[in-house]
Amino acid sequence: MTNYLEVKNLSKFFDSFQLHNISFTLPKGYIMGLIGPNGSGKTTTIKLILNMLQRNGGEIKIMGLDNIADEQKAKAELGVVFDTNYFSDDWQVTQVEKSISVFYPNWKSERFAEMLRKFHIAPTKKVKELSKGMQMKLMLACAFSYDAKLLILDEPTSGLDPVSRDELLQILSEYIEDGEHSVLFSTHITGDLERAADYITYISYGELFFSGSKDEFVDMFSIVKGGIEELSADLKEKAVGVRTFPTGFEALVKTEDTVAFSSLSIEPATIDEIVVFTSKKGDDYE
Amino acid sequence: MKLIISNVSGVPIYEQIKQQVKAAILSGELKEDEALPSLRTLAKDLKISVLTVTRAYTELEQEGFVKNVQGRGCFVMGRGSELMREQLICKVENGLTDAIKAARIANLPNEELHRLLDILLEANTDD
Amino acid sequence: MSNTLKATKLDFSLVKPYIKVIGFTMLLPIAFAAINRSILTGVSFAMCFIAMTTGYTFSVTEKNSMERLYGILPIKKSEMVTGRYLFVLALGAMALVVSLITQPIVLRAMGESVGAFDMISAAIGGLFLFALYTVFQIPGYYKYGAIKGRVFMYIPVAGFLVTLFLLPKLPSDNPIINAIASSPVLLLALAVALVVVMYAVSIWFSVQIMKNKEM
Repeated sequence: MTNYLEVKNLSKFFDSFQLHNISFTLPKGYIMGLIGPNGSGKTTTIKLILNMLQRNGGEIKIMGLDNIADEQKAKAELGVVFDTNYFSDDWQVTQVEKSISVFYPNWKSERFAEMLRKFHIAPTKKVKELSKGMQMKLMLACAFSYDAKLLILDEPTSGLDPVSRDELLQILSEYIEDGEHSVLFSTHITGDLERAADYITYISYGELFFSGSKDEFVDMFSIVKGGIEELSADLKEKAVGVRTFPTGFEALVKTEDTVAFSSLSIEPATIDEIVVFTSKKGDDYE
Repeated sequence: MKLIISNVSGVPIYEQIKQQVKAAILSGELKEDEALPSLRTLAKDLKISVLTVTRAYTELEQEGFVKNVQGRGCFVMGRGSELMREQLICKVENGLTDAIKAARIANLPNEELHRLLDILLEANTDD
Repeated sequence: MSNTLKATKLDFSLVKPYIKVIGFTMLLPIAFAAINRSILTGVSFAMCFIAMTTGYTFSVTEKNSMERLYGILPIKKSEMVTGRYLFVLALGAMALVVSLITQPIVLRAMGESVGAFDMISAAIGGLFLFALYTVFQIPGYYKYGAIKGRVFMYIPVAGFLVTLFLLPKLPSDNPIINAIASSPVLLLALAVALVVVMYAVSIWFSVQIMKNKEM
C-alpha cells in the first residue's frame, strides 16, 4: 500500500509549547482526522508538514517526497484549505484562477469552471463577497483543478454552519472515492469525523496519544455509567477519566477492562467522549 | 438492495451493513454472483468511512457469504443463502433444545410440548 | 514562464486595486518637472514617489494573511523574493519610461530645451535614487512587516545627510575621484555597478530573512 503522508518522530520546540515525537502514516485513498483540544499542536503539525515552520527533529514524506528537499515537487501534489481563505479579498473569482493557475502545470481550466458551477460560486464575485463556506469551496475548487493528490485541511469546519459542514464531508468522500486521493483533516469538532474518517491521529498537549484506524480507536474505550455508590475503588483505578455528579458517575474505561464491571451500564464511547475524558488529566497542573 | 445506517441503535455501523446484506441474501434479493455495491461508492453514499465498509465486507467474506475478486469487487457466493439457512436451522435447533430441557425440568409430557409448539405456530401465523 | 516571473505576475495581481493611485504617482512628478523647469528634478521625484509604493504588495499580503498562500505554492522562497524584486523594478522602470516620455513633452511645450544628455543623466540619477530607496525598504518589509518596514525607506535620506556632511571633507585632489568625476562614462558604469551590487546584497538579505521566517 502506498503512503501519501508519512510523519516520523516529528518534534518542534517553542518557548511555551513543545511538540514531541509525532509519528503517523496516511495511506493512499483514505481520510485521516487529526484531532485534539485547542492548542494541542494540530496546526503546528500541519505547518511543519508544509515547511512553514522549521522542525527541530524528525522526517516528513509527502507522496514519498521529502517535504524539504523536494518541497516544490511535493507541494505541486498538495491541496491546502485553511480555516480562512488565503486569497486577496479584492480578487474576483476569475482573478483567483489567473493568479494561482500559473503555478500548477496540470491546472485544468475546464475543471475549475466545472467546480465553480458545482459549488454555485459566481465567477464575477469578489473573494470578500463570498460566505465562509463559499471561500472554503473556492480553495477546494483550486485544489481540484490541478488534481491535488493529498488534501490537507486545517480546522475547515470551524465557523461553518451544519449545511456547509455536511457538504464538505460529501465533497471529501467523493474526492477519495476513486482510491487515488487522501485527506488529512484537523478539527476539534469530532462529530464531523465520527463517520467519514478512516484513520484518527489524536494529539494531546504536544504528545501523540493514538494513531490508527478510527474503529480501533473507538473500540478501545467504553463508557461505564452507574450510581455514585457503584463507583468502586477498582473502577476508579482502571478508569481513564471519571466524571461524578450527585446522582451518579460516568467513566471512560479501556474496553478490555470492562469485563469486571458487566453489572453496570456499558456503552460504546464516542470520539468526543474519549477526547474529553483523556484531556482532563491536564487539570492537575493548572 | 436497501441499506440504512442508524446512528442511535448502538449497533456498530459495520455490523449493521453485515446484517442487512445477509438479510438481502437470504430473502433472495441479492442473487448468486450478484455484485455488492462498490466499497468506495457505498462509503461515499452512506458518508461513512471506507475502512468501516471494508471491515463489513471482509467479515462477510470470512463467514462465506461473499467472495472478493481482486479489482472487480465483492460477489454473492452461490451457497450464501444455503449457509445462512444452515445458520438459522442451527439457531432453531438450539432454541428447541433449550425448550426440551425446560420441558424435562417441568416434567412436561412430549405430547404437551408438541401441542404448545402447534399453538405458538398458530398464534404466529397471524402476524 | 519561470517561477520567478510567475511570482512577479502574482504581485501585479495584488496591486491591481491600487492601479489608479500608482498611475497618479507616475504622472504627478510632471508638475515638479514643470515647476523647476528641469527633467532631472522631475525624474528624481518620480523615482522617489514610485519607490514609496513598494510597500503595497507587502500590505496587501499582510492584510489577507497571504503568507499562507506563499506557504503552499510549489515555489521556492528565493523565487518568491526575487519575483518581488523584479516586480518592484518593473514598476520603477515603468515610472521611468512614463517620466521620460511625458516630462520632455511638457517641458518643450514650456519652451525649455531637453537634450539627450539631460535625459540620460536624469535616467541614471533616477534609477540610482530608486535603487537606494528600495534596497533598504524591501528587506525591512520582509523582516518587520508592511508598517514597521516603512522606516527603512528613510535610511537613504539619513544617508544623504551624512554624504552632504562628509563631502567637503573629502580630499579634493584625490586622483580616483577626479577621474570618475571628469568622465561621464566612468560615472555611469560606476552607478550601474553600484546598483547591481546593492540589489544583489539586498536580495540576499531578503532571502535569508524569508528562509528563517516562521509563518
